[in-house]
Amino acid sequence: MTVVWNAYLFPCLCAFGACIGFTLIFNIHGVGRIICGVGGALGWGVYLLCGSNVPGAFAAAVCIGVYSELMARVRGCPVTGYLLVALLPLVPGGGVYYAMRDCLAGDTQQFLHSLLNTFGMACALAVGSMLSSSLFRAAYAYLHRIARRPS
Amino acid sequence: MTATEYDRLSELAVDLGCTLMSGGAEIYRVEESMRRLLNAYRLDTAEVFAIPSCVIVSVTAPDGHVVTRMRRIPAHGTDMELLERCNALCRALCRQPMPLHEVRILLDRLRERPQYSPRRILVGYVIAPAFFAPLFGGGPCDALGAAVGGLVVGLLTLYGQRITGSNSFFRTVVCSAAASLSALALVRLGIGRHADIVTISILMMLVPGMALTNAMREIMAGDTVSGLSRIADTILTGGAIALGAAVGQLLS
Repeated sequence: MTVVWNAYLFPCLCAFGACIGFTLIFNIHGVGRIICGVGGALGWGVYLLCGSNVPGAFAAAVCIGVYSELMARVRGCPVTGYLLVALLPLVPGGGVYYAMRDCLAGDTQQFLHSLLNTFGMACALAVGSMLSSSLFRAAYAYLHRIARRPS
Repeated sequence: MTATEYDRLSELAVDLGCTLMSGGAEIYRVEESMRRLLNAYRLDTAEVFAIPSCVIVSVTAPDGHVVTRMRRIPAHGTDMELLERCNALCRALCRQPMPLHEVRILLDRLRERPQYSPRRILVGYVIAPAFFAPLFGGGPCDALGAAVGGLVVGLLTLYGQRITGSNSFFRTVVCSAAASLSALALVRLGIGRHADIVTISILMMLVPGMALTNAMREIMAGDTVSGLSRIADTILTGGAIALGAAVGQLLS
């Protein structure tokens, strides 16, 4: 139990808190704040479960994309805020920093490694969230049409 | 509709687009909202165009008179409350068009949205880095250091216009340098153990996550010009963060 708490639950709670902090900066009010926080926690949990690497980030972005599209439909709000805030903890700020540090240290091999990893994370996040939200929209429109069709 | 009403309608559409954009909407949302608004008022031949810094609307009146409005959008942050309200207004108008002067009043009233006071925003700048520190492997001590560093960056962002100037690249360099220097100082003082972790947690406040995700969304949606300009913006901001953090790195 302690292992699960330390390895998964506590980081997810932290991601939740960090996202709540960002909602204050992006002027999100009311239930939207909780939605953003839960999205961030969900994304970080998936990222940890999938092994904290680039494919993990992709899986997390896919989950966040579906989750925020769903929440946007439920609340009738634009999806933009939920998606962007939930993705923020995964954005590779550390990658930029480590790449810069390796560059200054003159370690070209390590620099390229961190830089490419940073780009990989960024692309995985963007493509994952975009892909899942496009698929969700297509599926939603299709189901909507089926539901409305007179039988 | 009379000629002045075409003028007023195109003005309204441009205002709506401008407000959406300054809330942080994607290009397709801005363009589609403007087009739907114009269509709701039976203007099927309207042309709209938006890039991150500019909105253009062109409508042709039945007598062949062309009305074109263009507005330059100043640099802006992200304001989801404004975006949500503007979106809701646009939906309501598309469902049931109202007289133009009422729309004007509603649109002006959008600006009176609830906003967090600068003090609440500072709280955001404090708690977000504090929660990021454990995510990057830091302990409670590092979280405390990150919170203090976040406060410094928040103060610089909110009140430091005179020091940081209006150029966004330079502003990011200054904020990032302040983040890395304050992390170093805090670790020297004994608040926080790992300078790296504290620095990264604070830098997360400056990372252009918003711009990056929006950029990719726009490229996928087919707005290549806007997407590329936002990607250039992201790379510049990333470079600025690295440059600023290098200052602290060189001093350590």
